[in-house]
Amino acid sequence: MRHVTKTLAALAVTSLTASFALADGSGSIADTRTIGYVTTDLHWAFHQTQDVDKDCPEGLAGYGPRETFKELYPNGGPVEKTQLARESLKFFPNDKPMQFPYIYSKATLGVGVNLDGKVGPNDYVSATGEQGIDNALQKVLGCNAQFRRPEGQLQLFGNKFVRTSTWNRTLIEITNVDSLTKSDNVTVTIYRGRDPVLLDATGEGVAPGGTQRIDMRWGKPIIQHLKGKIVAGVLTTEPIKEGIYPWAIYNDVPTLLNWRDMRLQLKLTPEAANGLIAGYMDVESYYTWLTAWSTHHLSYGRLDPAEFYWALRKMADAYPNEKGEMTAISSALTLDMVQAFISHPDADQQQLSDAKH
Amino acid sequence: MQSVETRRIRSLGRFGGLFWTGLTTALVLGIAGCANYMTDQRSADTQPAADLGPVDVGSVPRARFMTAQQYSNMIADVFGSDIQIGTPIPPLMRAPDGLLSTTAGSVGIPGGQLMQLQRAATSIATQVVDKGDIGKELPAHRSYLVPCKPKADNAPDDACAAKFIRSTGRLLFRRSLDDAQVADWVGKAHQGAEHLKDFYAGLAGVLEGMLIDPMVLMVVDTTEPDPARPGQRRLDAYSLASRLSFFLWNSVPNDAVLKAAESGEIQTPAGRARVVEMMLSSPRVEHGVRAFFDDMLAYDKFDSLAKDGMVYSRESGAVLKDAREQTLRTAYDHLIVRNRDYRDLFTTRDTFMSPALASVYNVPAVPGWAPYAFPEDSPRAGILNHVSFLALHSHPGRSSPTLRGKALRETLLCQVVPPPPPNVDFSAVEDPDANLHTARERLTAHRANPVCAGCHKITDPIGLAMENFDGAGQYRTSEGGVTIDASGSLDGKAFNNPQGLAQALHDHPGLPTCLVKRMYGYGVGGMTTAVDKPQLEYLNKRFEASGYRIPDLLRAIVLSPAFGNVAEPPAAPVPAIKTAAQ
Repeated sequence: MRHVTKTLAALAVTSLTASFALADGSGSIADTRTIGYVTTDLHWAFHQTQDVDKDCPEGLAGYGPRETFKELYPNGGPVEKTQLARESLKFFPNDKPMQFPYIYSKATLGVGVNLDGKVGPNDYVSATGEQGIDNALQKVLGCNAQFRRPEGQLQLFGNKFVRTSTWNRTLIEITNVDSLTKSDNVTVTIYRGRDPVLLDATGEGVAPGGTQRIDMRWGKPIIQHLKGKIVAGVLTTEPIKEGIYPWAIYNDVPTLLNWRDMRLQLKLTPEAANGLIAGYMDVESYYTWLTAWSTHHLSYGRLDPAEFYWALRKMADAYPNEKGEMTAISSALTLDMVQAFISHPDADQQQLSDAKH
Repeated sequence: MQSVETRRIRSLGRFGGLFWTGLTTALVLGIAGCANYMTDQRSADTQPAADLGPVDVGSVPRARFMTAQQYSNMIADVFGSDIQIGTPIPPLMRAPDGLLSTTAGSVGIPGGQLMQLQRAATSIATQVVDKGDIGKELPAHRSYLVPCKPKADNAPDDACAAKFIRSTGRLLFRRSLDDAQVADWVGKAHQGAEHLKDFYAGLAGVLEGMLIDPMVLMVVDTTEPDPARPGQRRLDAYSLASRLSFFLWNSVPNDAVLKAAESGEIQTPAGRARVVEMMLSSPRVEHGVRAFFDDMLAYDKFDSLAKDGMVYSRESGAVLKDAREQTLRTAYDHLIVRNRDYRDLFTTRDTFMSPALASVYNVPAVPGWAPYAFPEDSPRAGILNHVSFLALHSHPGRSSPTLRGKALRETLLCQVVPPPPPNVDFSAVEDPDANLHTARERLTAHRANPVCAGCHKITDPIGLAMENFDGAGQYRTSEGGVTIDASGSLDGKAFNNPQGLAQALHDHPGLPTCLVKRMYGYGVGGMTTAVDKPQLEYLNKRFEASGYRIPDLLRAIVLSPAFGNVAEPPAAPVPAIKTAAQ
């Protein structure tokens, strides 16, 4: 018994006392000053209501792979000059300019963060009245059925893989915590976990209180550190210049979201963390990420990849290249997490892992 | 003395009458003397040593239906754990003494269940003789479960069939088959193989017949004259072997135990002691000890336990399954592996943890099951504070000091708490005044009703000390915004928290004596009565002298003369009705 207790003690575990589900003597925030969370849900942060006509007066996106194909090749043709030609554009979208009308969202309310600290003409107002919300991605995809909740294909399936794909087992560990309502100087570290999430009693949700071992085999590249503070129960981090957040939306195809100026804004409780990841998404990497979604899935949302690529480029609003073309687009993800104990490998385990690799 | 009603009807089965169909429309098992199964005396060396316990006590012979777990263990032990058995045997009803096992001697078997048994037998027999499938990674069971190869796969081979029937039948029937029985089964195998042009199909038909034979499915106590007590009877060697095996292993005797029965060694004190030591050192003893505690702690209720997921979101099915497992692992490790004091089971901080369960305890875990010790500052101590006890004896959406107190008294102290009167008013606890924030406040209001107060006085002071744990077993310090008062008392001993209750239970004189009573009744297969008092007193002394060590108690029970002695069943009460002639 003692050896396992020692083993557990060797694991840098996190816990917090809470008003409910109290830790059984394993330490409180006063002892550990640390809390961990595991990702359970990711959704692109677009403002939407139940009224699609109000959100998108011009309607939802109408030109997906099937529709563009029908217009371009009404009489069919050789496979290599029709189907394969169109499919190749998915991988080489620069080969042809935008050919079809694209519906951009013209909403004035938006979800996200004021990334540049300015209030500009293209910025949104948040539902709570905050000005200057930067989320140009909402303009590109806010009127695409694929991205509307809850029935949108990507919202539905992509999020399902957040829980089922180990690639997506993204953790955050917050250290140097004074309390979950106020802490002036905390460090947030992003890791990948190795363990399944615990389903709750309903079988639909994820229960807090699970344990996640850090993946030091394949997860080292995503380890990132952010500085931040907790004010009134909300964690706000400073941006990091380049950030990544894994999200495989198609089985375990190992795709990453590459951000510039990535930051977190999360409401913290002892059982959950809910809020946003925000920053400027690298356009090329975002396109790669989305087109990991197969063409037939993209068809459900009438999202033609080549057309979408140009819309993305058009709305990109940051990080100009030497030609003055914007290479990143302001965006945000809603992020839902539940509390988890994060266990660090001890030195022996790490040496063994390193030796194996 | 009643006799077992066992009617075996041979019927024409799907193979043209090749196998037995143990078909009874309602097989009612009762207290049975089983004189028809009497065997010869095998040893004269049967004088029990005086220090093994009272010699003039014994148990009533019974015929008991095998439990679902015993059936499962039997198949696993005889054929291997990869044989799938389904669920042919339904759960038992709990007896007034708090054990399921003691009701196994008085169960009815409806026709529908016989069909389930036959379906399971067909499936098992088919698997035992299957030829495997490499593509599906299925082993060729016949290659190692049938101890010979027939001359031809498509024809009878009586010699090979006899070899299988003799070896397998001996394990399933828990006694050697005589030549006539073997010849009978071989004849059936021959017919089947000939008819189906498949040796193994014929063998499967025979095995199916064995698996639904009442003498396989029932554990029948058969008796013989006791040379140590002229005019009295004792279990015969085979029945003693079965009783030992089902008690210590929760399964059938293995070859070594059957050999000791065949030779008569098991009927001698020294021989029985040797067999018992061998059995206690076997890994199978874990099955026996776990089965006993699963029964005593009423863990069969976990099979139908459900919590309100909206109230206790962490209490998933996986958690409840692991909660049961946690306490059984703890009990086996504490009592057998570490050979610790039984009473310390209620105060120990040592246990085991799984990832699912750890979420309810809100502690970190390592993958799989791992030993775990609750820290010194943890409110948890002993199995009473495990999620298993706390969740099992609660309502789906709230805790219940009454159910917990009742369970503690009945399960662990062998006391009887009367059921609530039929017209009891539960409104104070079920539709509470919003001003009553805690269970203590609600129960205080409920006890204002003098009809309710009587019983609640003996349950609630115990259960309220566990109110720091909600209906899912999660630790809490307040309810409805009010700090929980976890003080209470147990038979005059007061305490202020769950650890205090655990210590009070540890020190309660009824704790070890209740275990002795339960374990002895479990071992001999029936409720203890007043006639067992000398035996229980002897066992209590032995248990205390051993420092309350379970292996010593098991040893004392199975080596005592009473374990193998046969007692006359109590006389039927005389009807208190006067007739006209009187």
